[in-house]
Amino acid sequence: MRRYINKWTIWGALLVIAGIWAFTVRDWHQLWTISSAPDNIPIVAMLFLVPFFTWLGVRQAVANDRLVEQLEADPKLAKVHHRKVEPWRPGWARELHVWPYLVRIEFLATVIVTVILFVWSITLNAPLEEPANPNLTMNPSKAPWYFLGLQEMLVYFDPWIAGVVMPSIIMVGLMVFPYVDSNPLGNGYYTLKQRRFALLMFGWGFLMWILLIVIGTFIRGPGWIWFWTGQTWDHNAVVFDKNIDLHDWVATSRLGKAIGLGFLATNSVAKFLFGFIVVSVFFVVGALFFHWLMTVDFKRIRLPRAFSLREFHQALFPKKELEQKLLARTSLLQYLTFQFFAVSVLLALPVKLLLRLTLTIKYVWVIPWLNINF
Amino acid sequence: MADAPGAGESLIKKEPDLPAYDPIVSNSTSGWMLVSALLLTLSIAWALYDEAFGQRPWKGMQREFVARYTRYLNSIKANSGKTEAEIIESPEYQQLKADEDAARAEVKDEMAQIDVEVARAQRKLDAVTDTFQNQRGRLTVINYNVETSQGSAKDRYRRQAEQKRQEQVTVELPSDDGKSVEKQRLNYAQLEKLYDDLREQKATGLGRKAELLKKPSELAKKKDDYLKNNLIGLGPAAIEGLKTKMGAYDYSILGHQLSVNAYNIVDRCEVCHAGIREPLNIKASDMAPDGPGKEPDSLARAFVSHPNREVLRIHNPEKFGCSSCHWGNGRATTSEMKGHGRHRFWLWPMFEKENTEAGCQQCHSRDRVTQGSEVLNLGRDLFSERGCMGCHRYEGFDRETDSLAGTRQQIGQLEDQIRANEKQIREDEGASGTDEEVKQLLAHAQGLRVTNSLLAARIDQMNLQAKYLMQDQKKVGPNLKDVRVKLRKEWVPVWLHDPWAFRPETKMPRFWRFANPLEGRANMQDKDAEDQIQAIAAYLWQEGFDSKLPSQAQGNAGHGKELFESRGCLACHSIGEGDNKIGGHFAANLQRVGEKANFDYIVRWIHNPRDRVAPYCPKEKRDLTADDYAKKGLPFVFDTELHSRCPNDGAELQVQNMTVMPNFRLSESDARDIATYLFSLSSPPSYQAANFMDDPKLKDKGRALIKQYGCAGCHEIKGFEDEQRIGKELTVEGATPIERLDFALQTQHAEEGEDPLKLRPDEKEHKPWYNHKGFFERKIEEPSLYDEGKEKDPKDKLKMPEPYLTPEWRNALTTFLLGSVGAEGSNVPSSLFYTPQDQRRQDIQNGWWVVKKYNCMGCHQIQVGQRSVVQDLPFYQTPEGKDLLPPRLSSEGARVDPAWLLRFLHDPSLSGEKTPAQQQQINALAGPSPSPQASPQASGSPPAATADGQIRLHPQPGLDRNGVRPYLNFRMPTFNFSPNELQMLVRFFMAMSGQQDPYIKEPMKPLTAEERLVARQMFTSGTPCLKCHITGDPAHDAKAIAPNFLLASERLKPDWTFRWLLDPSQISPGTAMPSGLFRKEGDRWVVNLAQPPQSAVNYHDDHAQLLVRYMFLLNPDEQRALLATGPATTALPTAATTQHHASAKRKKVRSHHRRSPVRAVLGRQAAETFKTQLGEIK
Repeated sequence: MRRYINKWTIWGALLVIAGIWAFTVRDWHQLWTISSAPDNIPIVAMLFLVPFFTWLGVRQAVANDRLVEQLEADPKLAKVHHRKVEPWRPGWARELHVWPYLVRIEFLATVIVTVILFVWSITLNAPLEEPANPNLTMNPSKAPWYFLGLQEMLVYFDPWIAGVVMPSIIMVGLMVFPYVDSNPLGNGYYTLKQRRFALLMFGWGFLMWILLIVIGTFIRGPGWIWFWTGQTWDHNAVVFDKNIDLHDWVATSRLGKAIGLGFLATNSVAKFLFGFIVVSVFFVVGALFFHWLMTVDFKRIRLPRAFSLREFHQALFPKKELEQKLLARTSLLQYLTFQFFAVSVLLALPVKLLLRLTLTIKYVWVIPWLNINF
Repeated sequence: MADAPGAGESLIKKEPDLPAYDPIVSNSTSGWMLVSALLLTLSIAWALYDEAFGQRPWKGMQREFVARYTRYLNSIKANSGKTEAEIIESPEYQQLKADEDAARAEVKDEMAQIDVEVARAQRKLDAVTDTFQNQRGRLTVINYNVETSQGSAKDRYRRQAEQKRQEQVTVELPSDDGKSVEKQRLNYAQLEKLYDDLREQKATGLGRKAELLKKPSELAKKKDDYLKNNLIGLGPAAIEGLKTKMGAYDYSILGHQLSVNAYNIVDRCEVCHAGIREPLNIKASDMAPDGPGKEPDSLARAFVSHPNREVLRIHNPEKFGCSSCHWGNGRATTSEMKGHGRHRFWLWPMFEKENTEAGCQQCHSRDRVTQGSEVLNLGRDLFSERGCMGCHRYEGFDRETDSLAGTRQQIGQLEDQIRANEKQIREDEGASGTDEEVKQLLAHAQGLRVTNSLLAARIDQMNLQAKYLMQDQKKVGPNLKDVRVKLRKEWVPVWLHDPWAFRPETKMPRFWRFANPLEGRANMQDKDAEDQIQAIAAYLWQEGFDSKLPSQAQGNAGHGKELFESRGCLACHSIGEGDNKIGGHFAANLQRVGEKANFDYIVRWIHNPRDRVAPYCPKEKRDLTADDYAKKGLPFVFDTELHSRCPNDGAELQVQNMTVMPNFRLSESDARDIATYLFSLSSPPSYQAANFMDDPKLKDKGRALIKQYGCAGCHEIKGFEDEQRIGKELTVEGATPIERLDFALQTQHAEEGEDPLKLRPDEKEHKPWYNHKGFFERKIEEPSLYDEGKEKDPKDKLKMPEPYLTPEWRNALTTFLLGSVGAEGSNVPSSLFYTPQDQRRQDIQNGWWVVKKYNCMGCHQIQVGQRSVVQDLPFYQTPEGKDLLPPRLSSEGARVDPAWLLRFLHDPSLSGEKTPAQQQQINALAGPSPSPQASPQASGSPPAATADGQIRLHPQPGLDRNGVRPYLNFRMPTFNFSPNELQMLVRFFMAMSGQQDPYIKEPMKPLTAEERLVARQMFTSGTPCLKCHITGDPAHDAKAIAPNFLLASERLKPDWTFRWLLDPSQISPGTAMPSGLFRKEGDRWVVNLAQPPQSAVNYHDDHAQLLVRYMFLLNPDEQRALLATGPATTALPTAATTQHHASAKRKKVRSHHRRSPVRAVLGRQAAETFKTQLGEIK
């Protein structure tokens, strides 16, 4: 399997996917209207820049990891000064100065960025949109591109949660993470192996955010209705979306009725308790999931060979030594803090997104007395 | 990287002498650096260029303008001299010059004589002046000494002064021929006299000279004016000035920016459109890129001057800016797209050229007619005439219906209050209590009674107002309560199915849900269209009046045709089909009326269209029947004058048909003849039987459908009298946000410029029409468009039917809608809106609504330059035909007395006092037993039964009679205006002519016997007035083509009459009244005859004024006397016969003007006769 994954097959696969996607596009004019809007230019650029820089970083990280492996295998070599991204070779200067070797690259980058900004500002003017009219708001009425993720979140959560709580948690989380990080490795250079879990979590969160922005830009049309790319944004389009709370969904489902959960639809205390239980279970399960992610050795995951608890445990939860060590260095406070942020943002967001999009679930936990819903 | 060298080895080794390739140190970034630096430099250069030129494209335009304009100026500079020379060579100019020269030559000798005299006086004066002034100076000094000295010195000085006065001085006066000198010795008194006399001589000479030069200088001015008016553009000097201006052109924005602080307007349109206000009339071809006269490009078209200077003069751009009228984005200068506001989010995109006048409507939304906005005026006409306002409310249109609803509501409220008061009175009076309380309550009850009487008076007032409003309330379509008596039963469904198939271009819109014959739109038709038509037809038929009309015999079609073509029917109606069609489009085409209608009904309709079968009581909400009247013991009589109230409850009734069609006061036989003619134009085909129309089961469905389609907007239909309009209010439709205009499934077509209707097939490129203009145009062209492809319940489908529109009409209506934006949607503050504060302009604004409502302009010219419909009819293209057109009313207000005009408009036959003959005629028509209740203005009375049981039409007052101009075949019809509208019309005409309000008639100074004689002579000599003017003598009147003088005193205004006598052609070009009857002599006008009557020569006041006074004081006796002796009837050859010989008359009139000797002699004879008569009277 592995030997078929090379750059040709990857490019080929990307081309096939693009072809299939292009085949589904019915309205190129619409797609062009969206993509060419001056305020959408950063997002279109992001579509290409994010994968490119991700790829660039991963490539560097892979190279570094190999170097680390090499150096670790040879203690003598490890003691030699070496450039962080490549082993030292004879004839090379042992140390490089910031000036000129770094500064000239930075200067070059500055010049190139300046040229880009110049050209951008000359060719693209700020767009003129509808005059503000409280009686007739624009449709779709979209936030600036960097807020589109936030706006998209409003679809999935109670406005208070999506607009206030979640953003606060995200910001506080970003501030807190350096302090919950107990890993001394991987500072100042690209690496995958040494910061596997941290990168996974960051990449997850970052890509999720990008995804929300892309959905907000390309997918959401008039009435904030889901239009696949290449579908005409019809102002007269109608969808029937009846969002129901989880307890109502359970209470009215055939199974729910059969096992006598109908009271969930009427009894507000029961609703509250039901939601509380579901959320609690979610947090416990989520925490366990993250714990597993933290420690698992992906390479050793395999199908269980026998039907026993031990075999299941060995097959699905193989532990990795480095991660175990890191975990051991982590204090309980650090661990719990991380778990809280991870479950309530990184996991809750996609789970709720899927619940909403597939099962039209509105809220999971309704607290009628406080008017706060989760 | 991956292939790191063997590790241990390299550690021990010394560094080699030649360092290996180091990826960081050895790599040079200079290449990258160079490229980036170059790019950066380039982008900075680009930014600078963009700043200086990219964002300032107007600079290039300004330079281009200056270049092209200077070239144009150079090109015309050479021409300007030439054109001046050409004008000087033109015969007109030469004629003027010759006139001037002749006038100068005429006075030349006299002038020379005066010059000699003046020179002579001057020479003598020169000789005397010095001496005289010396003497006078000395005398003054002595006199001063007298005044200031005391005692004996005073006397001494006095003696000295006396000596001085007596002192003889010598003057050397030159003789008259200047050759010899005469010495004279004169004392002071003699000297002073001589001096004064000489000065007087000189002044008199100079004064006479000025007087003599007056005529030549007037002619010289006329000549120069002619040159000035005919010189296209400017003279060479002015052109040179413009060139200098171009040389120092201000290449900036600020120099060409219009800022109106008061209205927050900043317009930079003239930054690019630099030629807009140039004094020259710049055409696109003048500014062509390849030089003047070549093919213009788009830039050349942008540099032209404003096409309508008159509008620009009234709306000075310094005060109004540009974008206030044209819209667009007045501040943008970077591109045409931005400047013109062609952005989907800009609220005020510039109006397309063909819709420019939408900008007028923005501020002039309360006008019915806005001068100079022909497209917009047409749009307004169509909106009301074609029945748009039947379904759509628009502020100002159909005001009667709106105010009637308000008045009725108020009456209801007042009545409720009265009832409540009455209840309170009963309670008060029935209450018991202490004496004091009872007293108080009784007083209260008394107070309420008084209040009630006041309220009752208010109700009376309101009832009167309601009556007037009902009288003025009109519907666009005919009264459908009459279908049974009017129409052929089988024809109704045929018409409903597709009215245009029967009568193309009719006002009745095509209901696309019944039939959509357009290509590719048949599927828009309802599946049950036939059932719907049947149901509607059945309802109308079963709810129609079932009444018996007088049956009519066939008349004379030939005579009917003559009447139809000459009485004025064609001002509103058209006849003929296709290219043969003539007449107006205000009312229906009558070509095929015979195929659908009942002959008896049409005769009755022509006879008096307001005649209603039964009156409608808005209070009881039903049509009254003869039984209602019989129960109260009243005859079944109703009219607008005396019998407009319900016999049951006294409420005001709707007593006439809601039609604008007036009463032509035709006799019954004339009406029959016209109907016969109309019915002779077509032969009724056989239609499919329509028995379903009697099926009572269909009625309910029909009722629901009529309600749904809003038929009652244009028609009177039983059961729908209080129906509201079903359409959207359109007063501010143009300001509807584009998102709220329902493009439905056409949105994408509109945005991409695909036009399913192909409105402009010749236009090549696809132009997006997702804008107001695109929406309105298509909505009115094909309303079904926005339902296409929609899945809807029948009741939710679009209701708007398809109106008949030509492309011109469509554009006019679109313009009207685009400009209908109200204060909110306008891009100027509402303080700029046209809301006249002065009474005069308000009167004009109000009056137009009435003038347009009744299509006065079908017959009359009300504005200068406007053409009436009848003017363009083929029968009136000859000179004699033109004499027979209805009068021009452009100065009506100045001409007539408002009180008289009111009377005339009320009853154009002026038959208030009927002649015995007329009364006899009326009696004869009315039969032996005319209804005693019939009022003089009966309209809508039912047929009266004659003794032989035959039902006859009610007689017409003022039958077959024109009040002012009986000689015209055109008939000024009786419109049955309410006092409200009469007042509005009179005020309108007064205001249009700038007349003072109120008009107070000055009493005429009575004529002295001498004056009377002079006036008589003038009246009969030269051009005898009575030859053309009506006198009341039938034999004479047969040839007359002007009104009776006896009307003058109450009809005309003296000032106007005076001006009319002086130069009628100036007031009404082409009139038969001769000009030049008087000539100016000093300050006064004297009769312009070669040999004026001696008495006139002796009369030293103004002749024209005298004639006016004579006319205004004329009485029938005097007129008869004139007639008996005047030459008009006796001396003239009577070759001219009654009809169509006006030209002959006119020629004769003109020949009088040329003062044929025969005429002059006759005039003298008449004068002699009068003299004798006068002697006898004395």
